[in-house]
Amino acid sequence: MLHFARFVAIRAAMAVVTLVIVSFIVFSLMELVPGDCAERYLAFKNTQGSAISVADIEAERVRLGLDKPFLTRWVIWITNAFQGDFGESCILRLNISRLLGDKFLLSLGICLTALALAYAIALPVGIISATSSSRLLNNTLRLVSYLGLALPNFLLALIIMLFATVMWGESLTGLFSKEFRDAPWSWERVADFLKHAWLPIFILGWSATAFAIQTVRALMSDEIGKLYVTAARARGVAGRRLLWRYPARHALGPIINSLGFDLNRIFNELPVVALILTLTEAGSLLIEALARSNDQQLAGAIIFLLTGSIVAVNFATDVILALTDPRVRRSILG
Amino acid sequence: MTRLLDVENLTLQFDTDEGRITAVDGVSFSLEQGEVLGLVGESGSGKSVTAKSLMKLNPGNAIYGPQTRIALHLDDGSVDIMSLRTSSELQLVRGGAISMIFQEPMASFAPAITIGKQMVEQLLIHTDMSKKQARELSIEMLARVGISDASRRFDQYAFELSGGMRQRAMIAMALSTRPRLLIADEPTTALDVTIQAQVIELMKDLVAEFGMAIIFITHDLGVIAQTADTVAVMYLGRLVERGPVREVLRSPGHPYTRGLLEALPDLEDLDRPLTPVPGDIPSPLERPSGCVFHTRCQVAIEGLCRREVPQFVDLDEHHRAACHLVARERGAA
Ligand SMILES: Nc1ncnc2c1ncn2[C@@H]1O[C@H](COP(=O)(O)OP(=O)(O)OP(=O)(O)O)[C@@H](O)[C@H]1O
Ligand code: SF4
Ligand SMILES: [Mg+2]
Repeated sequence: MLHFARFVAIRAAMAVVTLVIVSFIVFSLMELVPGDCAERYLAFKNTQGSAISVADIEAERVRLGLDKPFLTRWVIWITNAFQGDFGESCILRLNISRLLGDKFLLSLGICLTALALAYAIALPVGIISATSSSRLLNNTLRLVSYLGLALPNFLLALIIMLFATVMWGESLTGLFSKEFRDAPWSWERVADFLKHAWLPIFILGWSATAFAIQTVRALMSDEIGKLYVTAARARGVAGRRLLWRYPARHALGPIINSLGFDLNRIFNELPVVALILTLTEAGSLLIEALARSNDQQLAGAIIFLLTGSIVAVNFATDVILALTDPRVRRSILG
Repeated sequence: MTRLLDVENLTLQFDTDEGRITAVDGVSFSLEQGEVLGLVGESGSGKSVTAKSLMKLNPGNAIYGPQTRIALHLDDGSVDIMSLRTSSELQLVRGGAISMIFQEPMASFAPAITIGKQMVEQLLIHTDMSKKQARELSIEMLARVGISDASRRFDQYAFELSGGMRQRAMIAMALSTRPRLLIADEPTTALDVTIQAQVIELMKDLVAEFGMAIIFITHDLGVIAQTADTVAVMYLGRLVERGPVREVLRSPGHPYTRGLLEALPDLEDLDRPLTPVPGDIPSPLERPSGCVFHTRCQVAIEGLCRREVPQFVDLDEHHRAACHLVARERGAA
């Protein structure tokens, strides 16, 4: 038990170190964007008609702490970031945490649900298709997963939206109906959210499922071909007991390992899907932040949060993996 | 002696992407109780698939010939192995009356299940022991094959054991159900020479103790000479020679067997040049007509060997070879 606690502590420390390194990279990237927050805000003010002088910019720099050396600013940023405070958006001058509000959690929830659904489907389907010799089943699955892999998400989103508009005259965009958009959380709001959220979950889950089926199928086929399975069969182990105790049990580790990659891929697809469905969640906020207004503070915060989620998922899968793999378990439990 | 196994006309083909290949072609042999049969032949000659046929262990793309008969004679009657279908019927030959040890001791244990759990699982399938009894017997078997600290090893995983220890554990597991026939498919190839000798010694002891028959598969005629009572030589899916081990090794009849022996170093005459069997093994997709060995045989008879399949002829009471040349010499004698 002590060993296990130490293992978890070490992994957690490694995750934090990873995050610190990531934060450094993100922070450096934020610096590389030409111009700083003070300039940008004031330039923005300028276009609104207020006359701004160089002295004003300097004063603003001091106010934002931008005159401090790079490393000092990074340390301040990262210390606050770990406490959930990302400062203010450059342009909007609003607290980023408040700006993001539930948006980040909602989008994280959508991504994780898509991932969970993908594996809920892929595990049985992948296992059955790896063990079945039915040509029909395997060819059908192959077709479906090619469709899943080849059909870009944005196209799928557009097709569904078009279909919905023609059929029901509803565009299916957004995460909330108008009346709930800024309302406080209530059961009705939750219901409204779920009514809207199935579409992005479906679209993100679509290709994720196709990928996951391929992963599970390949890993299972791999295990089934191994000698220990033949050896178990030669000892009289058969049927479902053979399937679950031997290849399925042993494919579990690599499958858990692939979760992190899959989440990463879903995150990558999120912005485009979000943009098309005009979801005002973190993904599209990121694109907005980068493209429309060069808001490096906001973009940095979102990238940091997304990476943080991936690091967290990898940490969780690492711990689960350690518990399922006897080699690792032996070395940490003694 | 009592008959244990009769294999008649075993023919086995595989459906592959390149077409249907013949892996075993009309192989017949029998085995007495307690007999140790050495099955030799170059890589790809069909030794493993022949052995797996006895447990119907070949994968789904395997097609057995309609003439194939495999009969296992047990105390309470004979079993037609080819007619076994359901997994509960097959249990009899899979770990019950027949057990198998594989070449790779590491790969034949499931990596994430302890050795003990795999042993107990097998005993629970094949006997009506309780878990506790199965555990006790397993530990006893591990100790019997020379694994020290057996009760600790019982709870370990294959990766925690050395190569020789793993193969010992594999033997313990295979013997725990007291099979009538043990198939050992190159059980010592993956081990280094000293360990090899120890494992072979152990197997010889156990045969005597358990009174079971063994089919010992190997490329190594030296190992055969040490362990087997009889030897069967396979080439490209055909049995080419069979007989008592001394006779076959001293006076081989088939040119292929002779070739295998000439490729072995001779401790009495170390100056004798080693001559491997010349030529390459033909692809299984292009099986030679007539005698399958004619593409590599240096004494092939023009016009005959390429066209006609040689039948078995007796060289001695139990010693037979399938070769036109042997038949001619016998006929002339
Ligand atoms: N599942 C399979 N599908 C297709 N062909 C197979 C299959 N299993 C075996 N074969 C083929 O059958 C032939 C005999 O194989 P087998 O494994 O019995 O050879 P072997 O004598 O045991 O050789 P080795 O000494 O290398 O173990 C080979 O040509 C092999 O490629
Ligand atoms: S039958 Fe002919 S080709 Fe075959 S081994 Fe005998 S002599 Fe050689
Ligand atoms: Mg083999």
